[in-house]
Amino acid sequence: MSHVSLFKRSPWILHYDGSSCNGCDIEVLACLTPLYDVERLGVVNTGNPKHADILLVTGSVNERNIEIIQNLHRQMPDPKVVVAVGACACSGGIFARAYNIQGGIDHVIPVDVYVPGCAARPESIIDGVVQGIAALELKHKRSA
Amino acid sequence: MDRKAFLGRVGEYQKDGWRLAIINATSILPTEAMEHGAFDVSWSFAKDGAFEHLREQILPGEEVPSISGLFGAAFLYENEMRELFGVNVTGIALDLKGQLYKTATIVPFAPSAIRARLEAMGKKA
Amino acid sequence: MKRTVVPMGPQHPVLPEPIVLDLVLEDEKVVDAIPTIGYIHRGLEMMVERVEFTEFGYVVERICGICSFMHGMGYAVAMEKIMAVEVPERASWLRLIWAEMSRIHSHLLWLGLGADAFGFENLFMHCWRTREEVLDIFEKTTGGRIIFSVNRIGGVRRDISDSELVAIVEKLQQLGAGFAETARIFETDPSIRHRLGGVGILTREDAHAVDAVGPMARASGIPLDTRLTGTYLYDHLDFEPVLETAGDCLARVVVRVREISQSIDLIRQAVQRMPKGEGAPIETKVRGLPTGETFERLEQPRGEVIYYIKANGTKYLERFRARTPTFANIPAMIKLVKGCDLADVPNIIMTIDPCISCTER
Repeated sequence: MSHVSLFKRSPWILHYDGSSCNGCDIEVLACLTPLYDVERLGVVNTGNPKHADILLVTGSVNERNIEIIQNLHRQMPDPKVVVAVGACACSGGIFARAYNIQGGIDHVIPVDVYVPGCAARPESIIDGVVQGIAALELKHKRSA
Repeated sequence: MDRKAFLGRVGEYQKDGWRLAIINATSILPTEAMEHGAFDVSWSFAKDGAFEHLREQILPGEEVPSISGLFGAAFLYENEMRELFGVNVTGIALDLKGQLYKTATIVPFAPSAIRARLEAMGKKA
Repeated sequence: MKRTVVPMGPQHPVLPEPIVLDLVLEDEKVVDAIPTIGYIHRGLEMMVERVEFTEFGYVVERICGICSFMHGMGYAVAMEKIMAVEVPERASWLRLIWAEMSRIHSHLLWLGLGADAFGFENLFMHCWRTREEVLDIFEKTTGGRIIFSVNRIGGVRRDISDSELVAIVEKLQQLGAGFAETARIFETDPSIRHRLGGVGILTREDAHAVDAVGPMARASGIPLDTRLTGTYLYDHLDFEPVLETAGDCLARVVVRVREISQSIDLIRQAVQRMPKGEGAPIETKVRGLPTGETFERLEQPRGEVIYYIKANGTKYLERFRARTPTFANIPAMIKLVKGCDLADVPNIIMTIDPCISCTER
């Protein structure tokens, strides 16, 4: 059975806050609310990793959340895409050299899309998600 | 520190209706006189516009009595002070046993840890 | 009775940020709650060792992306005290205006999240739509939506023209008028009253005993507000803290709803009282290195924040410490959760307006 365009119209997103300052988190939430409204593109925010296609992570990796991020990522069905939102998720950002920070999300799980910014703007987060959808389609084709 | 006098003064703040605003520790780096450094610990109380502090110099390992019996919010500050600084606070009402932060660096603000970091950066401690 | 431990978090649908509460249950009643934090602990207080004091403000602003402006302002004011810098009056007024706008945006944000937690997605959307208008003003006046870096030791980086200030007041008053209907729903809707009324009651005595701050204390009838101490030009304005006495979840919602109109009014007063004259200095040049220490307190949307700074005459501070309002309110949260029904836990946690990244730094 062909699954062409399975994701194109409705990718579901799981958001996890690594050790973000909240700046990127509230911008991710702002994407869901009326001004930006990503739901019009079929994007739904879910709290359940088993329902999610895209893992959106804000903030960097620290000692305590490594396992949580790995667990969430492992539970998501294949194919899956990881979008790192904001400077901290990309590289550790301004906190890169603080004692409890290990680095960007790619320290722990493979990242497909990097969204820059401190805090990342809603426009760039939406753009990141759209690029994530393309990556998802590509992965799906390869596995088919 | 004089444990009894200290608890007596904290008790007076509590009786007079003050509120615990913050407990703060600052590490004092090792010197020739103090081989292992020390901690400058302050307990701050607020009431209306007033803001007062009790301050003690504490040596590493020296026992500091918890004030969580008098001020309910103290347990969080005290657990934090023990985990991040290594100040030996005893008798905390809700003892989280080192599980509050679980940092990658053990006791990141201990005077010796700060000195080691500064030396690694090539700064004089 | 048999006890069950239910771990809540770190990833949970109602929690915007990770925190863990081990809830000890007897049937549906919570008998104990043990907090574990550290999921967002970065260790930023230690960064004073690496970042010069002139640039440390950028780190302080990133303690939290919601109260970012007020963190930056607190740091700047504390450093100005240590370095005995006289700040131009216009800069202080501009800071007050941005600070009150931060309160409006933060309360709208929280009311939305709170509404989502008690099952009103529609209200969530309305609050956040309204909030975008405040962010537009921020973007127009500072260039940023969330993090502005507009504070600097000695003043502010940007001026707002007199005509622009008048336009901002007008815009905020329109926002307030538009928000009135949403506010009425929060205060009177029967299902909201049913869901929040009488739930999670913090009595005045308990609020004092656990050292609660901010709207948490004010909803329990304690007139605790750092703005009352008269610093930051608040003594030039008519200001009475918003008080409620019920101490339940509903009272905490109502306090924040009313503080939105209060902040709009404070900005109106500020624009009226501040001396006219764009082009007046907004920054004092700061020279030399800081020596000394200070405690600095100010009222953030979530309550009183305290900074402690110690400088030793070098480019690097010796100690920076922030005690944020959520840190002070966690004991109150634990107190409230004990004895409540499991199903009420999310609402109780939400109504303290937790900001975990502030708490853990």
